[in-house]
Amino acid sequence: MPRKAKEKEELKNTKTNKKISNSKVTNSKKTSSNRTKQSKSSVQSKNAAKSTKISKTSTTNKKSTSVKKQSKPIITEYYDLPERYNQTVVKVLAQTPKTLFIYWEISDADIENYKKQYGENFFETTKPVLIIHNDNLNYSFEVEINDFANSWYLHINDSKSNYRIELGRRPINTNNIEIKSDYIFITSSNKIEAPNDHILFNNSQKMVYFRNVKTKQEIQKPISSLSFIRNMGKIYDIYDIYKELYKNEDDFNNLSNPSSHTSSQFK
Amino acid sequence: MQQKKGYVSFVLHAHLPFIHHPESDDYLEESWLYEAISETYIPLLTNFQKLVDEGVDFRITMSMTPPLLSMLDNKLLQRKYIKYLKKLIELSKKEVIRTANDERLNKLSHYYLDRYSNDLHLFKDVFNCDLISQFKHFQDIGVLEIITCGATHGYFPILYVNEKTVKAQIAVGVQTYERYFGKKPRGIWLPECGYVPEADKYLKEFGIDYIITESHGILYADPTPIYGTYSPIVSPKGVVAFGRDMESSRQVWSSINGYPGDFNYREFYRDIGYEADYDYIKPYIAHNGVRVHTGIKYHRITGKTDNKDYYEPQWAMDSAEKQAGHFLDCRTSQINDIVSVMDKPPIILCPYDAELYGHWWYEGPYWLYILFKKIYYDDCNFQLITPSEYIDKYPEIQVSSPCRSSWGANGYSEVWLNETNDYAHKHLHVAGDRMCELACSYPNAKGLKKKALNQCARELLLAQSSDWLFIITNGTMVDYAKKRIKDHIGRFNKLYYQIKNDDIDENFLKDISKKDCVFPDINYNIYG
Repeated sequence: MPRKAKEKEELKNTKTNKKISNSKVTNSKKTSSNRTKQSKSSVQSKNAAKSTKISKTSTTNKKSTSVKKQSKPIITEYYDLPERYNQTVVKVLAQTPKTLFIYWEISDADIENYKKQYGENFFETTKPVLIIHNDNLNYSFEVEINDFANSWYLHINDSKSNYRIELGRRPINTNNIEIKSDYIFITSSNKIEAPNDHILFNNSQKMVYFRNVKTKQEIQKPISSLSFIRNMGKIYDIYDIYKELYKNEDDFNNLSNPSSHTSSQFK
Repeated sequence: MQQKKGYVSFVLHAHLPFIHHPESDDYLEESWLYEAISETYIPLLTNFQKLVDEGVDFRITMSMTPPLLSMLDNKLLQRKYIKYLKKLIELSKKEVIRTANDERLNKLSHYYLDRYSNDLHLFKDVFNCDLISQFKHFQDIGVLEIITCGATHGYFPILYVNEKTVKAQIAVGVQTYERYFGKKPRGIWLPECGYVPEADKYLKEFGIDYIITESHGILYADPTPIYGTYSPIVSPKGVVAFGRDMESSRQVWSSINGYPGDFNYREFYRDIGYEADYDYIKPYIAHNGVRVHTGIKYHRITGKTDNKDYYEPQWAMDSAEKQAGHFLDCRTSQINDIVSVMDKPPIILCPYDAELYGHWWYEGPYWLYILFKKIYYDDCNFQLITPSEYIDKYPEIQVSSPCRSSWGANGYSEVWLNETNDYAHKHLHVAGDRMCELACSYPNAKGLKKKALNQCARELLLAQSSDWLFIITNGTMVDYAKKRIKDHIGRFNKLYYQIKNDDIDENFLKDISKKDCVFPDINYNIYG
């Protein structure tokens, strides 16, 4: 790609990103720790090695020159990511056990339909909301969002639970004559389970289930019958076992590993 | 002689994103592969061979990801690697002359000249440019178990919104493995150790026996595994999961007192690419004149200040030997401690990025060699094992559902989903949905349309690499990563409309097929 075009592309990209980040509101507490630690020199080395397309080198040998000639681009490519896909959708992802990421979009056709049904000013007289359903604990709560955003980070209280998100709208003024209902459903999301975030010591396990992965045979044993538990007078449950297994861990309720990527220098 | 009471299993994850630019010589990112070959893959192979020659029985497991295999198999990249080495050798020769008046430096410059000349000889004359066969050889003689990975290292906890895209990552990962190793893989390294139970059925469908998870993938499992991470668990769907041992991984990884920080080890950041006189070094750095690493580094870590002494290879080897002894002693006492609370021999699983060994931790491959020798000859209470061997020996495994988890910072999805990169996910999801739509609409496509559909699948897979999201989070090489997402999504969408409108631009298809030439045997029907 010619240098000018590349610059133009980057400029455009920066603009787009800015727009997104300005319009995004997050109500979950974010800390800098949501990025992997990055060693200072990785910045040093890789920034310096910034990807740049530049003129040919004189050291290219004959062989690779011929390869190069063969594979010279015949198509000039330039892409930007579409701003939207003109679909009505809400999707949810679990960022952490306590934070969901939700993004959404309403198609032009649906926008027109709502206007037809509820009046030209439908999107001015209503406000968007997200209703979060926790299907395990059977409760829902609502978060008011805004029309400048197209995604949201949302704090949730319960990990290891299934969540569904509904995108809907509520009239700003309850005396609105055109909109009879106090809630207009737009669409609902995929289902997602927020990950578990602790050792499940509280699940009082009486039996342990084993499977022989070769024979597929399954057996269950009462936890108290396991020989090593019988032999260790002081062990009564899994908490006690873990205290023995992880003697060197200060706090095995709060385990953290060194991240694999802290020293990955290639990327 | 102590009785063997337990096992230690090393798993090295060898991965690089697919970077292949036939259109230009100027993408510096291609050098990631060359650096990894010289600093990690060749040293690992050389040390494996030394162990075999010395009659040391050892076991190691490596995941070799499909993009890495595709790049190692790529003739153009092989030629470019040779060119890279030749330039390095040329520079090393100049260094021998430049440092003639400094005995210590001159010794080091000879060391690099020997090392890179040897790499060239090995790669060209001994390995015949085929590193995959070299790794396969060690698998065939039973010391190395190679496992697969998701097709392009797509991160399952985000992709599984559309399960078929996870299925395709697994399917292509298994197919690529079969292509190169002539059999099915027993294990898979889940990209970024990203586990979702929804993937289990596909893992089973494609014959995968086991996965590797982060420690809390096991510890937070349901019900709680009675042996912690010291034994695998089996998910209700039948996938065996091994969890990372915390104690040993901390010993290697810790940024404060991890092994790679030893003062005698080579300092990664002091490279003549940054330090030598500009006019002198110019032909060997980036074509646009930006200083980059050359691979010739003369200093050791020395201490915590910027004052760095020259590297002494012998001192570094002494440190590696001392640390290998320390690692062995720690595992021995760890196993002694835990056997009393277990009724089966424990397994301590030690997974690492392969590129840590050699590239980042220059002495890592030597450390591994010494450690394996010590385990074999010294009086210790454990032996090395692969996860497959452990399953075969102890097939009775507790049934429990692993926890959704990853090995990224904080253990979940923050690295691949945060304010810096969350814009990308909707594009990946839409492209995934569109790919499924295409596969359902044209199940029996032929000729040009079939080629276009297969290329769509490649573009989608390449866009899904977790690497791009990681790079954006990390804040380095961001432009390149963003461009890759844009290019693959852009190419995908362009083809998508061309296919739907029955108006495929053959030249365009040919051009992008040449650039994104990964997975030649792909069949788009995996999305159907």
